[in-house]
Order: sequence, then C-alpha cells, then structure tokens
Amino acid sequence: MIQEDLNSMVESLHPLEINILFVFEAGKAVDDNLLIKEASIEQSQKDMAIGWLLAKGILSVTGETVARSVVLTEAGERYFDLKIPELRIFQSIKANPDYSMSDVKGRDDIEPAEISSAVGLLKEKGIIKVAAGGRLEMGDGSLISGFEDIQRLISIVREKREINLTDLSENEQSVIEGLHRKRGKSRGIFRVNEKTDRTYALTDLGTNIHTAVLQKGRPVEEISQLTPQMLKDGSWEGKSFRKYNIGLPPPRITPGRKHPYKEFLDNVKYKFVAMGFEEMRGGLVENEFWNMDALYMPQFHPARDIHDVYYVKEPASSKEIEEPFKSRVSDAHYSGGDTGSRGWKYHFDIEKAKRLMLRSQGTAVSARTLAGNPKIPGKYFSIARCFRYEQVDATHAQDFFQIEGIVLGDDINFRTLLGLLELFALEIAKAKEIEFLPAYFPFTEPSVELHVKHPKLGWMELGGAGIFRPEVTIPLGVNVPVIAWGLGLDRMAMVALDIHDIRDLFSGDLDMIRTKRVQWR
Amino acid sequence: MPTISIKKKDLESLIGISFPLNDLEHHLQLVKGELKGYEAGTDELKIELSDSNRPDLWCCEGIARQIKGKLTGAWRDYEFFYSNGCDRAGEIIVSEEMNKIRPYAGGFIATGITVDEEMLVQMIQTQEKISEIFGSKRRRISIGIYNLAKINFPVHYKAVGPEDIRFIPLGFDEKMSLQEILEKHPKGQIYGEILKGMPKYPILVDSKDSVLSFPPIINSREVGEVKVGDSELFIEVTGLNIRLVLLVLNILAVNLHDRGAKIDMVGVEYPYDTEFGRSISIPYEFAEHASLSISDTERVIGESLKVEEITSLLDSYGHWVRMEGDMIYVTPPPYRDDIMHPVDLCEDIAISRGYGNFQAVMPAQMTVGALSEIEKFSDRIRGYMVGAGFQEIISNILTSKEDNLYKMGIEMERVIEVDNIMSQSYSVLRHWILPSLLRVESASSESFYPHRIFESGEVAVYDGSGNLSSSTIVKCAALISHHTASFSEVHSILETLMYYLQMDYRLVPGDHPSFIDGRMGWIQTGENVIGLIGEIHPGVLTAWEIHAPCSAFEIDIDKVLSLYQN
Repeated sequence: MIQEDLNSMVESLHPLEINILFVFEAGKAVDDNLLIKEASIEQSQKDMAIGWLLAKGILSVTGETVARSVVLTEAGERYFDLKIPELRIFQSIKANPDYSMSDVKGRDDIEPAEISSAVGLLKEKGIIKVAAGGRLEMGDGSLISGFEDIQRLISIVREKREINLTDLSENEQSVIEGLHRKRGKSRGIFRVNEKTDRTYALTDLGTNIHTAVLQKGRPVEEISQLTPQMLKDGSWEGKSFRKYNIGLPPPRITPGRKHPYKEFLDNVKYKFVAMGFEEMRGGLVENEFWNMDALYMPQFHPARDIHDVYYVKEPASSKEIEEPFKSRVSDAHYSGGDTGSRGWKYHFDIEKAKRLMLRSQGTAVSARTLAGNPKIPGKYFSIARCFRYEQVDATHAQDFFQIEGIVLGDDINFRTLLGLLELFALEIAKAKEIEFLPAYFPFTEPSVELHVKHPKLGWMELGGAGIFRPEVTIPLGVNVPVIAWGLGLDRMAMVALDIHDIRDLFSGDLDMIRTKRVQWR
Repeated sequence: MPTISIKKKDLESLIGISFPLNDLEHHLQLVKGELKGYEAGTDELKIELSDSNRPDLWCCEGIARQIKGKLTGAWRDYEFFYSNGCDRAGEIIVSEEMNKIRPYAGGFIATGITVDEEMLVQMIQTQEKISEIFGSKRRRISIGIYNLAKINFPVHYKAVGPEDIRFIPLGFDEKMSLQEILEKHPKGQIYGEILKGMPKYPILVDSKDSVLSFPPIINSREVGEVKVGDSELFIEVTGLNIRLVLLVLNILAVNLHDRGAKIDMVGVEYPYDTEFGRSISIPYEFAEHASLSISDTERVIGESLKVEEITSLLDSYGHWVRMEGDMIYVTPPPYRDDIMHPVDLCEDIAISRGYGNFQAVMPAQMTVGALSEIEKFSDRIRGYMVGAGFQEIISNILTSKEDNLYKMGIEMERVIEVDNIMSQSYSVLRHWILPSLLRVESASSESFYPHRIFESGEVAVYDGSGNLSSSTIVKCAALISHHTASFSEVHSILETLMYYLQMDYRLVPGDHPSFIDGRMGWIQTGENVIGLIGEIHPGVLTAWEIHAPCSAFEIDIDKVLSLYQN
C-alpha cells in the first residue's frame, strides 16, 4: 500500500477506532472483554468500532469461543419467591389428607396450565396418587427431593444473577438441560444465554496503521460535531475536527420536483412567450361548431364521425351557437358568404353544430380566440389537451397535448409563414436543416408541413401550418391574414425523457417519475 | 387520408420518364404525397396522399398526370368533355322515386383497351379509396364497373321493394332478394346501414331487365364482374350529391383515357331538376371558372411574380389560364372541384413553383408575449409545492367512472360522460385531481417512502347554466403517504401554501365519503368553499389497493384566483 493511502486511512479513523488500536500490540491477540476494559468504552461502541476495523481489513478474528451462562426467566424469578408449583401442591397434600383436585384448581397462586403439568409430574414420579372423587393421596414422599434440587438451583442462580454453565456441577447442568427438554423454552425456569467471545489481532495492513497511530500519539481531543455551545464558548479553538470519509454515498432523500414532462412543456411555453406569443386557453368540452364548423370543415368531412371523435352523452348539445358567428359561418359553408369563396354548397345543419364533444384539436382554441377580438398584430399559442377516438397503444394516448397557435397581422403571407416556421425549427427543435413540404389541412391554404433534421431523431415532421382560409377568418370577424400553426412535440418529449411508450408520459409509477431526467442536449 | 400501392414501372410508363427514387420523392410534393416505402422485389411504391379534396390524386394515373404536366408541359386533351352530348353511346333513365332514395346516377363507356392484371388491381384500388374515404363509406359515392358486352341500353335507375327482385350477387352462387342480400351478403351487412329505413331500394337494370347492381351494396355476378381480358367497360356512379357523382365519373374517365381508352358519353335523364339540368351527358365538364388578381396573389404569396411566371406555374399545374390586365382567369381541369377561393389557386402557384424556391422572411411586427393569468397562478402554486418537497404528477384527464367516483366511495355525481364509449377506462372526464394522485399511489407501493405528490391540472365540471353545460377549471391536489401520514401533516402544507398566497381560510368540519369521518374539512374563505382536506378513508385505500395511510387536500385554483383578484 502506498504511503498516501495509508495516511488517508489513518486520517479518517474514528476516535473509537483509535481507542481500540491503542489496546493492541503487534503480534498479540486481544479479546472482547479486555477491549471493553482497556479502551474504557461501552459494549455497543466496541462492537461498532470493531466492525469498522474488520471491514477495513485492519483487524482479523483469530479465535472464537462460545460461553454459555444461565439466568432465571420471569417464571424462575416467581418460583424463587413462591417455590415451584410441584412443591407447593405437595406441601398442601401433606398438610391436608382431604386435599382434592378441585382444591388445587381453586388456588389463585397456580395457573391452570401449571396445575396439569405439576400434578401430572407428581403422579408420574409416584409421589402422589389420585383417588376416587379426585382426592389426592400421598405416594412415596421421599421422591420429592428431585423437585427440591430444582428449587435449590433456583436459589443458586438467583444469588449470582448469571452463572456460567461450566461453574455448575454436572448434576446441576443436567437438571437444567432436562428442564429445557420437558418444559420447553416458553415456560422454562432457566434461560441459557450463549455469548460469542472473539479474539482479534492486527493484520499486516493493521500493523502498519497501528504503527502510524502510535507514532501520531493519542489525538488531541477531536471534535466530531460542532455545536452551538462550542461557538458560544469558543471551546473549538485549538482543537481539530475529526476528518470524514467523504467518499461514502449519502443517504437518499425524496426532493420536491417538477414532473419531467411538465418541465419539458414549461420550457416550450417559456420559449413561446420569449418569441412574443400570448397564451390562450379553451375548454375541454366544445361543440362541433367551434371544433369543426368555424374551421370550415364541412359537416360531411371524413374526420367528423363517431369513429373519430368522442361525443358527450348528456346533455348532447349546447344550448345555442353565438351570433353573429352562427349565421356567418353557415353562410360561408353554404355559399361562401362574403368571404369571396363559393362555399361547400350544402345546407348547414345547426343541430349538428351544437353537438357537444371532447375537444379534438387545439385549433378549436384558435377559433375561439379569432372570434374574441384578438390583437392585431398578435401572436397566440396554446398547449391544449385533446381527445381522439383511437385505440390506446404505444403511440396513441387517450388524451394528449396539442401545441397550436395563430399569428395575425398585415404582413402575414406565405413567406412570413415560412419564416416563422424556420424560427420554430431553430428555437424549439434546435434544427438548422429544414424542409417545407406542401400539405393539406381543411382550414388553411396554402398549407405547409415543416420537416426538420433533429439532432437525435434525424429527419422528422415537426409540425403543420398554413394561412387560415378567408372562409375561417372573415366570418369570425378578422380581416387580416392569419397563420395557423401546430407542432407535434411528443416524439421530442419522448426522446428528452428517454421513453418509448407515449402512455409513459402520464405514468403513475412514482419511481420512474422521480428518476427520469430531462435531456436538454 | 389514403395510402395507395402502385408499381413504379406503371407510374413511370404513364409519365413517360423513369426516375431514381429520390427524384420521385421530390416530385411527390406536387401531389402532397409522401413516399412511405418501396419494395424493389415487387416494384411496389406505397404513397400516402394527404389532400382530401383531391381524390383525382389518389391513384397512379392521377399522380402521373400531375407530375407529367409539370415535367413535360404536355397535357392530354380530354376532348370527350366537349362533344356537346351529341354522341351518346347509351342512356341511364332515372325514375322519379329515386329523388328521395339516392337521387343521382351517371356513367360512361370506355373501349379500345384490354384490361390487364395491373390495370384491374389499380381500378379496384381507386374504386375502393374513392368510395370509402371520399364517398364516406359508400354513403355519398359508390362506384360500379361492368362488362359492357352484357348490357343492353338504356339502363334504368329505379327503386324496388326489398323482395321485388332477385339476382345473383358477386361472391354468391344463387339468386337472392335485396332483403336477403342486406342480411346475408358480407357487403350487405357492412353497407346495409346506408339504406336503413327506406321502403324501397335502388337498383340498376338494363332494358332486358337484367340486373347490373344493387347500389351502393353489390354488383350482379353476371354483368358486374370485370375480368382480365375485357375490353369494353361501362362505369357507373351513384350518390347523394350531383357534383360529387360527376366529379368521380370525370376522374375515372380521364384515368382510363390516360391508359389509352376511348371514352364514350352516356346520357342521364332525370325526371326532376338538378343543378345541371334534367339531361346530362357524361363525362361532363362542370368546373367553375375562377379568377384572381395579380395583387391578391402577391399579397398571399408575399412576393411579386411576373405575370408570365404566374401563368406558366398555373398552366403546368393543369389549369387553363387566360389573362386580362391585372386579372387572371382560370378554368380548373374537369377532374378537380376543389377551387373554392382564389387562395386555392395561390397554393397551386406555390406548389407548382416548389416551396423550396421561396425565401423565408420573419414576420416583423412587434408583439408582447405573456402567459394567461391562470397559468401564472398555477405556476406559482407549483413552485410553492415543489419547495415544500412535493413531486409533481401529470395525469390523463379522460378516465373511468370507477377511478373518478366509485373507488373514491362516491356513488353519484354529475360528471362529463362520453356518449360513444370505446372502453370504460376512458369514459368520463375527471372532475377532480385526487383520484389521479391515488392512481399513482396505487402503482407505487414499492417506491421509497415517504411519498409527497401533487398535481395542478385541468378538470371538467358539470355546469348546467353554461352554454356547453360544463366548465374547464384548474385544480391542485396534494397527497402525503407513509406509515404515519396524518391530517396535521398535510394541514401544515395547506397552511403554508395559503400563507404565501395571502389567502385567509378556515376549515369547516364536514362529511365526505372519500375521507375518514371526523378527519375531513371543507376549506373556506369567507362563504366560499375552495377545497377539501382530510385523511383518506381506509375503504378508499383498500379499493385502490394502497397499503399506506394517505392524507390530502385539493383546492380549486380558478376560484382562488378569482377571489384573489377581487
């Protein structure tokens, strides 16, 4: 072992360990009893320090003896005062010829369990006999001496409190062993304790450490814990502090912490605020009007079916559709209204528009915002929980977040749409390589799909966007061009959290939630 | 939207040019198509088409047509659209009662080709994609293709009673009545829903009373089965909307024409008025002329383009273009009916030019970013809770009655329920957060204790007075679980939270089935109940299979915020 390591081991010795080491001499074995005496420490402190020294390989166990000693049990203590039940019953029979079993049972100094065992033993030895009517008669009274031996042994043990088994005569030892067999441990009179006594010696490493410790001499009193009192009275001055082994792992704690997926979403949210976007919110329950009709999705659109969205049971419909939006939107669907469009050319069904559903797209929130007198120029975003009628599996959750928004302004056009998406790619996905592809959404024209080269995922679709159709904006009272955009960030979130099943984003496994870290790189 | 499967060679022969796969992928931008895969062994391309208003692109012929136009500038002349209806090769006669059943039918004839295997596969694929997706599972559109040689014109489109006619449907060997077909034939079982409640059903029969088909269910085996080697076809479409019927027939006609067929017109005679009159010769060119000004185009595109460039971009995308001063007049091709507004033409211009050929510009106008008040308030509370040592949780909102109510010891409470339930596990919106936290406890008995968890999130509560009969609010619940979790421990957290929120509150003892009697309280500020607190009832813990005591509180953050703001 190199000197440096040796020094650091010596440095980090606990005062108890040093105390113990001072008892040792090179080449000599020391036993437990001697240690307690010489080091003047408690048994528990000795056990602890010896444990450390053994673990560090400074000491080794050279011998082990097991000492057996006898003490009285609680019952034994009672019998010391009252005498054992057999003797008590024998005395009563001797004194009273009419003494019967029912008299024994009437006694309050003997428990029922003791009675049957005591009477049984006396009978078995032939000391007493049971006559007709339960009367107890004397048998061979001289045989009672065996029980008197037990009583005497109780007195001997009582006097010494604890006595080594080897200090008793062979006869006495066999009485104790016999009682153990007959009465079992639970109702015993005596308890035999086993104590392991070890002897220890310094190992080779220990000898080196021991030498170093002796050279250093006994430490000046070391402070193990700085106390307010020491600070107050200055008693720490001139003393040294025991050095810690700082390489040990610390105890575990359960800190307060944001959920890792929320941490990810919070970051997204702050990004949008930083880019000048105002948060908008909407309801989890919508009617078809705001979820679909206001977005110029015709009522016969393939995505407006019980197999695509969740409908609300009761009540099934909203009470009304707000004017003037009801008339303007239905005109836009039928003939284009005043939007410059020819419309979808079908008769708009107000009842269908009132049907309540669970919001299926974040664009519903944008529609509400457009109708609510938005700022111009204005930028809005929402992180909206949405619901789709889909089988739940590793890539589909029963509800999920859609990150959507709008940008309103005179300067909005196809090129500024591309510019905004370029900004998103860089800010949200840290992607410098991007591609714009033609896309289709019922409510935007032109429409774009944004593909980016993600540092980890490679080329992926980051989102879709477009300029809202005039059939959407004009009926809602907005007369400037409006960008509608939506980003799909679940795949990025899953990479950041290193999970492979979308359902794990909402996991109930506390261990997983506590241990997941968000990878920002 | 549809994913179709076509042969690369077939596509290339229709275009007249061969490509490496990369180039093809690039050209697919012209049709909003995404290459999903290519199997070199079978030469099979899988392409997903995203534009639900362009069913003409959902087939090999349509994709080829759009790409070829752009690359070669050569557009086929579909002169059969312009023969003025003089040369009808056959007629369909519609009966009066169809107006109330399935009002529109039409057809045309294709000759001069021989159906080979690939063409048959493509025809069937196109028929299926259009009738299933564009035709709303045959409700709005259904298509029939027949061997012309077996048909004697005129064909009658009429209504008959369920037992009035018997014929052998495709896939069967014996004659069946229409009612039997609906009950026993697999197609009848799938599509019978469309005819539900109608006293009579649609039927197409020829002049010799031979049945062509029972639209929109099934063709007859005799006449309505096209085989490899057939060279003369009759194609028919029925539906609920005349424009869609005509559009689909036009698409099918140009598809066959692109493969070399000669298209002959079939006339339809209606006893009632349609948008296009009572007598229509099909294929029928009905596209509406559209116009846009150069300045409008520039406003949408964000760039000034030369007139010639706009013209050429539209032309190479398939439109007929005419210019007059600042105005551009456009006639879309007869297989498209999706130009509703000039912005649709602007997109065509952008796609024709290529999105990659535009210079992106940042929107320059200044705006101020902000979070909503409720989000900010919720974030403040989240901060305090994290500081108090709580792990945040996030949960699904769509849950089960079992979790949301029954396991909580609640028998009845008005919640927002799903009508078209897919699984009981996802059938109600949560109206409070506490069950979401117990869900975590239930799954986490092995996780290192103590547990201190919270969630601040949206719930939907029933609100009879509102227009939507529900409102979405934000609630926050916190829960402590360990061997000696108690009321006072969680009360300390509430006390601290309310201190920092500067809200005076008091606890009013109450009864709630989720909590132990005598250890539950309503959190009130003034007369307003803003939440509840208590030790969770052992019956509730047992129902969730939770093995450690829990104490918890929940507050309505929306309500707290509104009190706070006053």
